[in-house]
Amino acid sequence: MLNSDASAPAANALLAVEHVSKHFPTPEGVVTAVEDFSFSVKAGEFVSIIGPSGCGKSTLFNIIGGLLGGYEGRVSVDGATVSGTHPSIGMVFQEESTFPWRTVLDNVAFPLEIAGMDKAGRQERAAHFVALVGLQGFERRLPAELSGGMRQRVAIARTLASQPRILLMDEPFAALDEQTRLLLGDKVLQIQQELKQTTLLITHNLTEAVQLSDRVLVMTYRPGRLKRIVDIDLPHPRDSEVVSSEAFGHRVAEIWHDLREEASRGIAADEARVLRGGHRP
Amino acid sequence: MSAAAPLPVAALGIARLRLAIVLVVLAAWEALSASGLLFRDVIPSLLKIGAALGKLLASADFYGNLGVTAGEISVALLIGGTAGLAVGIALGANRFLSQAFESLLLYLGPTPKIIFFPVMIMWFGVGPGSKVAMGVLSCFFPVAISAAAGMRQIDRVLIRVGRSFRATTWQMVTKIYLHAMREPIINGVRLGLGVAIVGTLLAETKLSNRGLGYLVIQAYALFDMPKMYALVIVLFVLSIGVNVAIGRLGRGVGTK
Ligand SMILES: Nc1ncnc2c1ncn2[C@@H]1O[C@H](COP(=O)(O)OP(=O)(O)O)[C@@H](O)[C@H]1O
Ligand SMILES: [Mg+2]
Repeated sequence: MLNSDASAPAANALLAVEHVSKHFPTPEGVVTAVEDFSFSVKAGEFVSIIGPSGCGKSTLFNIIGGLLGGYEGRVSVDGATVSGTHPSIGMVFQEESTFPWRTVLDNVAFPLEIAGMDKAGRQERAAHFVALVGLQGFERRLPAELSGGMRQRVAIARTLASQPRILLMDEPFAALDEQTRLLLGDKVLQIQQELKQTTLLITHNLTEAVQLSDRVLVMTYRPGRLKRIVDIDLPHPRDSEVVSSEAFGHRVAEIWHDLREEASRGIAADEARVLRGGHRP
Repeated sequence: MSAAAPLPVAALGIARLRLAIVLVVLAAWEALSASGLLFRDVIPSLLKIGAALGKLLASADFYGNLGVTAGEISVALLIGGTAGLAVGIALGANRFLSQAFESLLLYLGPTPKIIFFPVMIMWFGVGPGSKVAMGVLSCFFPVAISAAAGMRQIDRVLIRVGRSFRATTWQMVTKIYLHAMREPIINGVRLGLGVAIVGTLLAETKLSNRGLGYLVIQAYALFDMPKMYALVIVLFVLSIGVNVAIGRLGRGVGTK
């Protein structure tokens, strides 16, 4: 069942999402992608939202990031309602999102350029964040010369360079292989601890959610509601080694128990759609 | 030379064939000219054309008119290209605008712009103004159409990145759209320059008081056939030069 703190944001919440719902009109009728979703994130916390494909995670991501309007409910930072994009929230996208015509350094300097920072200042700050994600020496390379994992690190560095109070990421490792994903997870966690970066990670990967988070929010499939909040009280610092520990296994099992039901419903819905001859929306 | 590799031999063969064709054409021309079959001077001898060409290239008048035409085409490309880019970006960015106006663009694009020439003469006079206007009209459409199509093929996530960092519309255009659309824009400009040259020269040959097109028509009116052919040869060579230059430009982009 829902935790008691789910609908009323904690007094010291940095990010609060209250009773957010989003409906999409489609030719096959109205799809409720997110329904009455509430949670809050405290400063310095690492929170993950996990749910099966198509459950409304990206919809929620776009609402919180301010790229999607026309929803019910309220999103606030430090108690102030947010409508549209907000400088406190930095987004990292699921898709490949580096600018192919910019070098690594210039990609990372992009938000600083937008903010009107002088050239020397932004080069210095960009170089710092390039180094932070472990890409020193690659400053002058173009994205096409890098691997997928390196490009995703550039995207993360770019968003970090804008120094958002909340780092919001939508399945940033989804396109990577498992090993790269684990190692990149280590990196993100290390950076998060170093910067005390408040982070909201959206994922469909169980291991990733448990390894990285202080709390995991499990989402239901269609409509996307908050099913359960699981506190991950494993000690820090954690790296990918933790994946093989017994306590870790317990947490994963606990969440899988909830997630399994939703994932099955997602698969069943997909099958039904194919049988009806409908297209994947 | 038995040591020659097969490829250079083939290239040499092609060069020889080309040379042979040119020589045959020139010989036929000369024979036709000497035969007197056609009205006198319609086909002047190569010697006369060569002399006229030499005189043309030595005259200050020619370079003055070449400058006028080149200037008209450059200004036309600048105005028409910029306007086309702005309109194309607006249409590509806005669904509503594109539904309202894009079909108009697609229908007007291929219509012969020369039918607007009388109007342009009334608006901008007989001088370079109306020629520039014709060039603008010609190159606006291909640039606008490729820019609109280019906008739609930009990776959506790059636009979302720009928005998420709160870029202004101007920043979106200069820092994202123009870079992401580099290839379609260059292609549009290539097509645009081609039709701007056609539009401007065509207008000059219709009604004008300056420019290369004017010189051609003047030579025709004075029945100075050797000069007319000399001008045609010059225009032909210049067009080939411009096309080669633009082709290089396009290839440079493709490899980047
Ligand atoms: N723009 C849209 N129009 C119609 N339906 C949409 C739109 N965006 C998302 N949806 C639907 O909302 C549901 C949730 O999508 P999404 O948030 O992308 O899920 P997830 O990121 O969890 O995979 C899906 O069923 C999807 O088809
Ligand atoms: Mg998604």
